[in-house]
Amino acid sequence: MISQLAILLSISAAILLIAYITAISSRDLVRLLISLELMFGAVFLAILPLFSIAPTMAFAIALLTIFTSASELLVLITAIILLDKRKKGIGVDKVAVGGDSL
Amino acid sequence: MDAVTSLIAAAGAFAVLSSIGVLLTRDNFYAALYMSVTMLLIAAIYAVYNVQAVVVMIALIFIGAVGIITVAVAASYRSMPSRRVDLLWVAPVIVVFAIVCYAYIKLAKGAVSPIEFGYFSAVPTDYLLVVIFLFSVIILMMLSAIKLARRVEP
Repeated sequence: MISQLAILLSISAAILLIAYITAISSRDLVRLLISLELMFGAVFLAILPLFSIAPTMAFAIALLTIFTSASELLVLITAIILLDKRKKGIGVDKVAVGGDSL
Repeated sequence: MDAVTSLIAAAGAFAVLSSIGVLLTRDNFYAALYMSVTMLLIAAIYAVYNVQAVVVMIALIFIGAVGIITVAVAASYRSMPSRRVDLLWVAPVIVVFAIVCYAYIKLAKGAVSPIEFGYFSAVPTDYLLVVIFLFSVIILMMLSAIKLARRVEP
């Protein structure tokens, strides 16, 4: 008989793997952003079993994860719009060099 | 298999299917919609375990705020890019995924049964300072982003 823990962690691992494949195959930053959000989804599922052991700590971790990831994603969305303004495109190859230009 | 396990398995299977939709679709708009559906199903799994505070936070913050903005951005940049896997990143992905699977198989033991805890009532007492700090972080980061955006020449 399959336990609930095994089901949860299998789903989490499957979503994480799909997010990784999406990230390494993405050609534009919007798809990269979507894959990051999927990775956070996998993390939320991995936190769930912690609610059985230490609910107060698990809730604090969930709070921190949700707020920090949401703010990070909002900044990333701003960065995508800024990149489009500056480079006239959101392709991954436009940011492959990185850093400041001399 | 009892009802709770079946419900989790069904929601999880649909979550994995919708995340496969993110991978397979060529349109960014549909990819963002599939991602929102995946997050909604993850929130549904939390709801099965009666952790309602996290359900509300995922629904409001992740799907309501970030998800909708992502859908809007994806609708603006609705390109159909050709897919190409960068081979340099395949090895790190395999290594990280192997470590995650090893940790899951070897270290994760026991049953999942969330303890009843007043999550909503604990927010204004136990977690008030954390929530205030986190809201401050979000506001600070958004102000920095706005300042940066105003500095960039179109």
